[in-house]
This record gives sequence, structure tokens and C-alpha cells, in this order.
Amino acid sequence: MVNRESNVFPGILGRVCDRPCEPACRRGRVEEKPVAICRLKRVAADHRDDVTQFLPRAPRQKNGKRVACIGAGPASLTVANDLMPLGYDVTIFEKWGTPGGLMRTNIPSFRLPASVLAEEIGYIVDMGVDLRLGTPIESLKALLDSREFDAVFVGSGAPKGKDLSLPGRHETQAVEDHIHIGIDWLESVAFDHIKSIGKRVLIIGVGNTAMDCCRSSLRLGATEVKVMARKPRNFFKASDWELEDAEDENVEIVINHAPKSFVVENGKLTGMMFDRMEYQLDGNKILSEKVAGEVFFPCDDVILAIGQENAFPWIENDLGVEFDKWHVPKVDKLTFQSSRPDVFFGGDAAFGPKNIIWAVEHGHQAAISLHRFLQGQSVRERLPALLNLSSRKMGLHEWSYKNDYNPVERRLMPHVDLKERFKKINIEVELGFNAEQAAAEVQRCLNCDVQTVFDAKLCIECDACIDICPVDCLTMTANRPEEELRQHLKAPSRNKTQPLFVSSALKHTARVMVKDEDLCVHCGLCAERCPTAAWDMQKSTISIPHASDESPSCTPPQTLKIA
Amino acid sequence: MSFITKPKITHPGLPKNDIGLTRRDYEGGMSTLCAGCGHDSVTAAVIEAVWGLSIRPEQLAKLSGIGCSSKTTAYFDSGGHGFNGVHGRMPSIATGAAAANRDLYYVGISGDGDTLSIGFGQFAHAIRRNVNMLYLIENNGVYGLTKGQFSASADIGSKAKRGEENKQPPVDPVMTALMLGATFVARSFSGDKEQLVPLIKAGLRHNGFALIDVLSPCVTFNDHEGSTKSYEFVRDHYDEVVHADFVPPATEITAQYAEGHALPVTLHDGSRILLRKLDPSYDPTDRTRAIGYLREKLQQGEHVTGLIYVDQSSSDFHAVNNTTATPLNQMAYEKLTPGRKGMEKIMGRYR
Amino acid sequence: MHTTANAQDRVNDFVLKLANVNGTGSASANTLLMKSMFRMGIPVMGKNYFPSNIQGLPTWYEIRVTREAYVARSGRIDIMVAMNAETYQRDVREVDPGGYLIYDSSWPRPTLLKRDDITILGVPLARMCNETFKGVRARILLKNIMYSGVLAALLEIDLDVMRALLAESYSSKKSLLDSNTQALEIGYNYAREHFPCPLPTRVARMDKTANHILIDGNTAAALGCLYAGATVGAWYPITPSTSVMDAFKSFCQKWRVDPETGKNNYLIVQAEDELAAIGAVIGASWNGARAFTPTSGPGISLMNEFIGLAYYAEIPAVLFDIQRVGPSTGMPTRTQQGDIMLAAYASHGDTRHVLLFPANPEECFHQAIDAFDLAERLQTPVFVLSDLDIGMNDWMCPVLDWDESYKPDRGKVLTKAQIENLPTKFHRYLDLDEDAIPYRTLPGVHPKGAYFTRGSGHNQYGGYTEDAAEYQIVLDRLRRKFERAKSLVPKALIDASGNQAAIVSVGSSDGAVREALDILKSRGVTLDYMRIRAFPFGPDVEKFLASHSLLFIVEQNRDAQLRSLLTLETPIEKHKLRSILHYSGLPISSSCIVDGVLAELGNEKRLVNSG
Repeated sequence: MVNRESNVFPGILGRVCDRPCEPACRRGRVEEKPVAICRLKRVAADHRDDVTQFLPRAPRQKNGKRVACIGAGPASLTVANDLMPLGYDVTIFEKWGTPGGLMRTNIPSFRLPASVLAEEIGYIVDMGVDLRLGTPIESLKALLDSREFDAVFVGSGAPKGKDLSLPGRHETQAVEDHIHIGIDWLESVAFDHIKSIGKRVLIIGVGNTAMDCCRSSLRLGATEVKVMARKPRNFFKASDWELEDAEDENVEIVINHAPKSFVVENGKLTGMMFDRMEYQLDGNKILSEKVAGEVFFPCDDVILAIGQENAFPWIENDLGVEFDKWHVPKVDKLTFQSSRPDVFFGGDAAFGPKNIIWAVEHGHQAAISLHRFLQGQSVRERLPALLNLSSRKMGLHEWSYKNDYNPVERRLMPHVDLKERFKKINIEVELGFNAEQAAAEVQRCLNCDVQTVFDAKLCIECDACIDICPVDCLTMTANRPEEELRQHLKAPSRNKTQPLFVSSALKHTARVMVKDEDLCVHCGLCAERCPTAAWDMQKSTISIPHASDESPSCTPPQTLKIA
Repeated sequence: MSFITKPKITHPGLPKNDIGLTRRDYEGGMSTLCAGCGHDSVTAAVIEAVWGLSIRPEQLAKLSGIGCSSKTTAYFDSGGHGFNGVHGRMPSIATGAAAANRDLYYVGISGDGDTLSIGFGQFAHAIRRNVNMLYLIENNGVYGLTKGQFSASADIGSKAKRGEENKQPPVDPVMTALMLGATFVARSFSGDKEQLVPLIKAGLRHNGFALIDVLSPCVTFNDHEGSTKSYEFVRDHYDEVVHADFVPPATEITAQYAEGHALPVTLHDGSRILLRKLDPSYDPTDRTRAIGYLREKLQQGEHVTGLIYVDQSSSDFHAVNNTTATPLNQMAYEKLTPGRKGMEKIMGRYR
Repeated sequence: MHTTANAQDRVNDFVLKLANVNGTGSASANTLLMKSMFRMGIPVMGKNYFPSNIQGLPTWYEIRVTREAYVARSGRIDIMVAMNAETYQRDVREVDPGGYLIYDSSWPRPTLLKRDDITILGVPLARMCNETFKGVRARILLKNIMYSGVLAALLEIDLDVMRALLAESYSSKKSLLDSNTQALEIGYNYAREHFPCPLPTRVARMDKTANHILIDGNTAAALGCLYAGATVGAWYPITPSTSVMDAFKSFCQKWRVDPETGKNNYLIVQAEDELAAIGAVIGASWNGARAFTPTSGPGISLMNEFIGLAYYAEIPAVLFDIQRVGPSTGMPTRTQQGDIMLAAYASHGDTRHVLLFPANPEECFHQAIDAFDLAERLQTPVFVLSDLDIGMNDWMCPVLDWDESYKPDRGKVLTKAQIENLPTKFHRYLDLDEDAIPYRTLPGVHPKGAYFTRGSGHNQYGGYTEDAAEYQIVLDRLRRKFERAKSLVPKALIDASGNQAAIVSVGSSDGAVREALDILKSRGVTLDYMRIRAFPFGPDVEKFLASHSLLFIVEQNRDAQLRSLLTLETPIEKHKLRSILHYSGLPISSSCIVDGVLAELGNEKRLVNSG
């Protein structure tokens, strides 16, 4: 349940999340690979017991307010998840015959089995959401005018795949039939409208959609799949692990080739012509580029996966919902309110394509806004996130957390055998961690939640903490401005974006204790070796408010959770 | 002590010495001493100094007797052999070891009990022999492992944890060493690595017996009010007389010092110690005056610290014994036996 | 018995005893006498009974002239040279009937001369010295040489041999050579003029000393250290071991100075005490040098703590215990075999040590080398239990030969390359070869070979432990290692011809036992004989003990320490053992053993096969 609280879809996100958390993981500062947070969430989700009794429920007594959500994707579902327990009537309009939005249509089932999707969506819908499938909203004006709803949440995603206008694109219908827009093609595959593809396939673009396209192609009969990239590898948008998975399946990724034209012979697509690019690089900056020649790649099909955008042909101009010059709605970044107070946006519909976990967060925040708006309160005056600290010390050198640093490397995800996996499109490739792998992976966590807390009054300046620190993150020195202090640290300061922790003046010498948090592994040895308990290890619990924490509401406000 | 061991994390920014090793490569096992023990800081200072001198880990031989201090040889340089001998007898083991192989660096770690009581004789004679070693006393004025009895270095009037007052005069290792003719005599404090680390470097490179008496508070039995060897008391009665900066060979001394305030002393390997005199009237090369100064300050209850006396001209153990340059433990047997012909010659004397 | 009729029996078979005052230079005169006879091809045995004193106390030197080449005291005195007024009365009493007493007649002492069963010869030595030489000191010294001249005439010692020996001693000091030669001749001439020379008790040239030397055990032990390749010696001066290091030093000064650099290929540490001496030996051995310490019982007592450390931490060390009379300070200049139990179990806790028992200087040489090989092979302290009798007296021994093929056994020491190629971490106390002997590494060789040596509880990996099982694994292996030593130490020397009764002895008791066996045989009693040469006792010792029904354990201490050790360390039934003990401080004599055996056999005759 902890897993579900913020995440809402742990089983889904534990498989397909973009993992913005993992680059932030501090394990990546100690060695290269962060903790496999995402896959551990899957472990927690897959191995849970029956949670039905703990799931939020809608109260029998409704509060009379009605909210419409457009699109049954992660953002709308999160809004429903947060608002239903508060007594709201939530209606979700979905153009397709099944809920899930992009999670359903754009993520191939070999990555995300339909059953997982169905189950986690079911938890929300089963609270009594009025889910209207096969009901596309053609006009927002009509919806608003119906007065059926007190507020509208637009979570309709960014459903429009970008096209590539190059010579030969539209030469004949036969050519057009073999050039596909990535997300549309994935959608067709998801709904079984497309069941096969040519032997040789070129994928244009190297984002995550491209990865799904190439791997889906392999399962629909393609044998030779190339992903064509304009730039070198460090400019790829796709996540490293998705690239790895594709390459594991023998997809070739061709770098430095810019598409030039579709080559058509006798009215049929025979391949594509590319400019071979040469770049002069300075790290991650391109200083200059030049074309070094032309290359022809034969193919039977081309899939364009070069991006997508949101599109709102169904929102009339005179409703008070304003758009900017790129036709993106003007949405408040904190409240997700549009320029029309009763219309809120979230997910890809709000700020363009992002990912599922952002859509969920948008949903949470929009739900708070919707709740406050519908209770007649300012949407801007929101509850702050709270931090609670409590000591972990249990004995002389015993802590109520696992403080030992475990040097194991990131566990590798076990996969279905390469031959086996292509037999059907819905064979889930990743098997998930077993118990042993999960246990080892968990131990890689550096316990960022357990903080080193220093009390300068207690320090006798014995140096014990400094001597024991395995990463030399502590220094006792004369106080100076931060920039100067960084020059006097025991270990060189590498990450200047992370502020230094500096204590007040110490008793004996008036020096200060300085900690470079960037290096700390939270092993607690400083506190263990501290004779006066000037150092302590304290667990910090961050309480991020959701709609249910707001008040007044129809249900009593929940107290902040304190660990 | 701790349950967990200090994790081995080599983060990319960790500085390396001339032979490509990080400080972590000079660490040893986990300390089993009390949290906050001064001895652990001395250990850290030794690590810093040995690392800074780019001594290969196996070039260091670590010797100790018995007691809290003597345990610490296990806590640094796990790449070097260690020898935790018997109480007070480390100097003799060091003497034998140094006799067998003159090419290693010998670090002897002892305590006030180990050196000034049971081992007083061996301490004195290691000085007399001028064994080429660094001798560190981790001096806390108290017997820790037997739970808090006064040691021979406890000052008159210093109070035990339960209030008992020491009435016997202390043995001052620095004064003793000066009297015995030691050629490198220093005192420092575990809580002052800026002073201690260069002293250790200089002591390791000194040709002969180098003594550093390190005041190293016992947090458990001697860090209370009334103790003269607590962190607080030492800091309040700290008189650094000569600060030694260690200057490796072929390094230029660039800093400028006022006339009479700095004194460079060249060691036999070409490295230098730059002595910064904090009291310009003090002369760290004048033994008689050093003794006088020390006595005066002792009466005032001050802990005189720094490099108190240094003499680079004296002959060390091997020079006195005219020992060959090849370490004796590496001499080929053929060079050591007179052989059959020699035997015939020798037998002639007994016919 | 001692009549002129039997005088012929005394040619080359008599005992000459010289009573002197310590510090008067008598030693060189007595050596001159003994060596002269030795050079005449006659086997001799010399024993020095000297006080723990520098000057003034009485000292005796006993020379046994023995055509049978016995090496023990016979227990009788045929000729006494009484040069010490203080002991005069006692010395006169000691002479066997029919013997001779020679005294300084410069000052007549008729009241003291109360024996009429001996011949008393007065020589005015002091008067002649005073008349001839200047200076008090010179007169005292030369008086000794003068009585040597008297004896040369009386015993018919070849004067040319004596002159040659003086010439060797004073080759660089002409004036001393002249005065000594003069003194020698004055004495010689006086005797020729005043007494019927030679006496019936006298010497006659033989050829029984070819290929032999006269050497003391301490010198031989030092020579062994030199040949074993020992480079570090650490010691604290203590009688009677001092001459081991003195001799080693003098050998090193001759053989261990690099001819090119003039630098020493050895280092001798004269330590502040025995504790430091053994500490330095342990430090040097730990660091890979062959190191040793010579000492005596009181030194071993002091070294006990360190010996336990070396045993438990498995560090080689070689100790020479030149035993003297205990307990406590005892009689420092007298001999005993009193440290057997002390050495066998030296130090607290469960410890047992390898002991070697040389019986003569020749064995001191060889066992010194064995001691280093065993110490390094077994990684443990090894004791060479010599004694004052062997160590400080000149013994006639075969010339020492050196086998050039000898290579020191440095034991299981890993080389740099071996450490580098170790498939695992280095574990100091792991029994990899299942021979109970682990591998060791030396400091400075390779960081992977580093380990922590400690006397505190450790496991087989070399780590600190207080775990019962881990501790016991190491302790049990140490016991197995000691078992293993049984097959490596020198075997006992056994003379067996199927007798039911036998003598068992050790060390310097050997000479007296061998002579006693001959005497007993001449009286119709034949016994088998085993001389134990090492502890732990090997299967050969156990087999010998088991195959005899009566065993005389001959040793020189009060408490039958060898017998105790045998009952503790072998399955021997106690009732089979009879002790013959001698602990006066003088070396054991054959008569003591003969008497002991015969007395016992009065009760147990049935057990002895008549010869």
C-alpha cells in the first residue's frame, strides 16, 4: 500500500516507468549504477498479498460534486483515485473501448501484460467511477454546456505522432501503406489491427517509442530491424535500459544518419536515403556538423518515431481556455488550472509528452486543485510537504536500519530466452527479480531517508567521525564562505550543486563541522564512533500531501503519517 | 567498536599518492577501541602520513606491545606486517627486526603503561641503541583495558574518574628521551592532525630513533573534569613551541618567514623538516636548553608540543654496528659461511 | 694398591689437579700443560672448577691423562699442585694414597704437612720468581709457568712442545715470550736438580690425538652459528654462556667482514637483559634472519613470556641454554642438567618445546646447525641444552669437518612470486599441506603476504579470535606440529646387545656413562645404553624404553628431570626406572654411576645378564 500511495500504479510503473528517480539515486555517485528502484517497485507489487481491504473506498454519502475526466489515461485515473474517496462523482470519458490510454495503446504487451494494467485500473474504477468507454469528447463546449459536471479535468494525452515530410512520403498509396506513424502503429498493434510487418524495417528516431516499435516489429515477422539515429549515442532520448533491451534482441542502431528521402521504385517503397553526418563534439555539445555523404538503406517498412504532440481540435476557442502560439494550453504549473477556472489539465495534455509517472503526479496535484476549487477555496494555498525526524539508535552500535554498505553491483534483470520471447507478442520479456535478487538489490540502497544529524554543542572534537568516515565527507575546519570551504574539504568537492552542511561553531576551538552530503553513504559510522552522540542517525519521513490530506472535506482529514 | 566494517568505497575523486594509492589502501582492520578514543585519530594520522610519503604498504612494519595503544597497529596498513608482542617489550622486537632488515620503515606504537612502566627499560635502551624507528606513545595517563588505574604518566593532582587524586610524580617520556640522548623528540596531540601528520612524516624519515609522545585522551576513563589529559584540558594547556613542516626531497620551500622564525633541517634522505618556531627564543637543536624550557613549562602545567629536539648528526643503530648495506635477512648463504677451507683454517687453532 | 709396584699403571693414566687463586693467570699455565700432553699424542681431559668471582677466590683445574680416552672425571687425584694457601689443607686431604703433592716451599709450613701416604715435593716457586722477575704482577703470573716447568720435568712432558706453545701464544710479544720461557726452564731445572725425574706417574708419547682438537662446547656452538648462517645474535652476558657470543663475535670479525666495504655481515646486540635479548631474536627471526641467543637457566626464566609468544605465534628462535647450578642464582660457575623441565615446558599455558642435548663440543657444533634448521622448519623456538661442563671446558674431539653441500633449511617461507600467485588470500596459520606446519611470509616482501602476528588468540587465518572452536583448531595443530618434530629431531644413540637392563642418559653425562659401562663390564655386568639427543622423544626412544625391563636414568640434577619427562611424554611404566643422580656442581664421574648401578643390582641381580 505504501507502494501505491504516491505511485498509484506500482505494477505498471514497476515495469515501464521512465525512472526519473534512478538518475537522482545517490548510489550512482558511489558507483555507476543506481539502485533498481523501478524494478523493486515491481517486486513489491507482484509479491503483495491481497490488498483489497486496504484500498481506498468511496463513501456511501457523496458530496454532490461531479467531475468529468477526459481520457482514461494515468492522469485521469489518478484524479479519480484521489477524488473518489472524498465523495466526488467522477466520470471518465474514453474514446477507445478499454481504459488505460497510452499505457494500453503505446506500450507493447511484452513489456506490460494486459492483466497488470487491468488489475490496477480496476482498483480505481471499482470505487464507482463512471467510466464511459467508446465515448470520445467531440466538443468541450457541449460538455460544459451540459452542466452535468462542476469541473473538468483534461487528461487526453498527446495522441498525435509527428510525421516526416520528405520526398517520396506520399508518392503512392502503396508507399503510404508501408510508412507508419509510431504511436498510431503501436495502437493498431495493441488492438490487433496490425498483425504483421515486412522483413526489413527501418525505425526513424531513437526515443522510447522507437524502441517499442522496433521490438514489436520483431514480434510481427520482421527479421532485420534498424533504428536510424541522426546523432551520436549520447544524444539518444531512449532510456539506456530500453536501448539495451532492443540491442539484446539484435536490433541494429545506426548512428549519425539523417533521413533524406523515401526511395520509391515502380510505385513501391524500396528503402530510404540518408545523409551520413559528421559532428565535431565537445562533450555533450555539438560544435559543428557536416554531411559526409549519402547512404541507401533498403527496407520494406518504415516506422516514424520522431515525437508526438498534444492536439485539442475538440476545444473550442471561445470557452476561455487559452492556448499559446504552439497550440499548447496555458496551464498553471502548480495548480494545473487552465485559464478557465473549472477546467484543469494534466498528463501529456498539460505540458506535452512526458511520461506516466509525471502524469500520475499531475493527477495528484490536479486532484488537490479540483478539491479545493470545488470546496470554494484558493487552489494556491496548498498544504506544504512535511518532514519528520526520529533517531534510529537502538544500542551501542545497533541501528534500526541496515547501515552496512553493501558493495554488490546492480542486479541484472532476468529475461525470457531470446528464441522463446518472439513466439507471441504478449510474452513478457522481463521476469522480475527473484527474492534473492530483490534482497541484494535492496541492500544497495544508501538510506537517504536516514539522515546524519549533528549537534555542535555535544562535540568534543575528538576526530573520531572524521577518521572513520569511509568517504571522507566530514571536515573540521575554520569557518569560511562556502566556496572557500569547498577548498578545505578532506575529499575534493565534486558536486557543487549540493550545498555543504555546516555546523555552528564548536565548543573547544570554534571550528565548524562541515559535511559534503554528496559523498555520504549513510553508513552511520560517524554516529557509531561518536562518544558523545553529537552525531545521530535519524530517519526522515517526508509527508507529501494528497487531496485526501486537505481539509475541509467530506471525510475527516487523515493525520500526517509519521514513521 | 562497531559491528560493521568501514565500507570500502573508492569514490572517483579520492586523491592518489605518487605510487597510485589512496588513503584507503593504507587502512587496516576496524578499530575495537571505544568511540572517540584519541588512539583512532593517531591511527588516522599515521595513515595520512604514510600515504603522503608514498611508502609502499609492505615497506612498513608495525610493532607494538600490549594495551589499547598497542592494538592500533592492526588498524592501519593491512598491507604491512604487524607484530603485537608482549607488554612493554616492543622495543626489543623492533631492535631485532631492524637488525635483520634495515630497509623497512619500523613504526612502534606503545602506550604510557607499555612504555613508562613495564617497558621503561626497553624504551630507554632502544633510544640508547638509536634504533631506526618511529616510536609513538599514545599517552592518556590511564590504564584503559584494566579499567582506569593511573599510569606512570598521570600528573600529580590529576583526578581519576571516581575522584581519586594521583599523588605520585609522572614520568615524562619527552624529558626522559632528552636525557637519554634521543635524536628526535616531539610531543603532539591526537586532536591536532595538522601538527601530528608532518611530525610522523619527519619521524619516519629521521635516521635513528624518533619519539613522538602523543597526548591521546581516553574518552572512557580520562576525559572528565579534573583530568589533565582530557580533550578539553589539553586544548586549554597547549603550548606549541616548534611546528615542523615536512618537505619532501627536491621540493622548494616557498613560504617566507620572519628572521629567526624558521629553521630548515635536512634529513639523511634529502627531505627536510622546516621548523617554524612559534617562540623565536626557542632552539630545537639545543638539548640542554630544550630540557630547561620543558621543565619550566611542566611546572606551569603546560603541555609543550611540537618538534622539541632534533639532531641529524648522530649515528644510528646500523652505523654504530657498521652493518653492511644489504639487509642481513637477504644475504646469500654463500656470503655467510667460511666453507670447508675456512673450517680447515679454523681447526688449526684447536690442534 | 697405590704402590710403586703398580706405578707402571699410572703412565698416561692419572689425574693432575692444580689448586690456584682466581685471577692469577693460572688458566694459561694449566692450558699449556694440558695442550702439551695433547700434542704428545696423549688423550687428555680438562675440567675447570672456578668460582663466581673475578679475583681472589679459590679455583681448581683438573687434568685427566687418559690413554683410554675417557672424557669424564675418574673421581681420583694422583698429583696435586697446591698453589692456594687458603685451600691447602683441603687440597692435601684430597690426594689419593700413593699420590704426590707439589707446593710452594718458599715459606715452610711443616704443620700442614701431616700425610705420610703421599709424596710431598716442595719447590720455592715464589722465591725463585722474586729473584728473577721484576714487578709484583709479573711474578704472580710467572709462578704458574714455573710450576708448569716443574711438572714438565716430573712427568716427562716434552719441553720443546711447551716452548713451541709459548711461542704460538706470544708470537707478537717477544719480552713476554722470553720471560715465560725463562720461568718454564727455571722450574724444569729446579725439579731435575732436586727430584728423581721422572716420577713413576708420568706421560709417554702416544699417537692417539691425531685428527683431534681440543675445543670447548661454547666455541663449537658459536662455530655452528657461524656455519648455520646466523646473522643476528642478541644476548645478555651470563656465565657460563658468555663465551658463546664472545667466540661468535671473534669468528665474525674474521669471517663476516665484507672484504670490499669493511662492513659487517652480522649484527650482535648486547641487550639490556635477557628479555630484550630474546625479544630481539624473535624480531629478527620474524623478519627472516637466523638469530640466536646464548644464555643460562636464569636467562631462560626471564625469557619465559617471550618463549610462549614465539611458540604460539610460531616464530623460529634458537636458544643456547648453557646450564649451570640452580635454583635461583645457585652456583653460577658449576655445572648441572637442571633446566630440562624448565626448557621443555617454558612459558605459561600449553607449551612444549623442541630441545637438543649435545654431549660434547662436536655435537654443540652440529646441533647448533640442526637447531636453526629445526627452528625454521617447525617455526618454533628450539633450545640447545648444553651445560657448563661441555661449554667451558676443553674437550678432545675429532676435527670438525664441513660438508659443502649443506644448504640451510629455511622452512616454509613464501617467496614474492609465490605470494603474488596465491589463488586466495594468505592465511598464516592454515595447515595447507596437512603436515601441521603452516606457511609464513616475511615483512617487506609483498602486501598480499602481510599478516598480523600476535600472542593473543588467533584463528588459522591469522585473525584475532576469542572463539572457542577457532582457538582450539590452532592449539590442536600446534600439538600435531610437536608430534611431527619427533621425526625431524636427532635420533637417540643406542648401544644395545639384548640386555634386559640399560642405562639412559643425556648430554654431558655421556662420558661418565661410557666409562662406567666399561668398568661394569670388567666386573661382569653388561648393560645396554641409550643417549637421548632430543625432545620430543621419537619412536626410537619409546621402543628402547619398552624393550628393557630395568632402566637406569643417569642425569645431573636432584629431581630426576629427564626421568620425569620420560614418564610424562612416553608410555613407560614408572617402576622400570631407577635414577642415578648427581648434582654437586662438579661434572659427574664414572664411579658415581658404577656405584649406583651396583648398589641397585644388589637388589635386582636376576635382571642382569652376566657378561
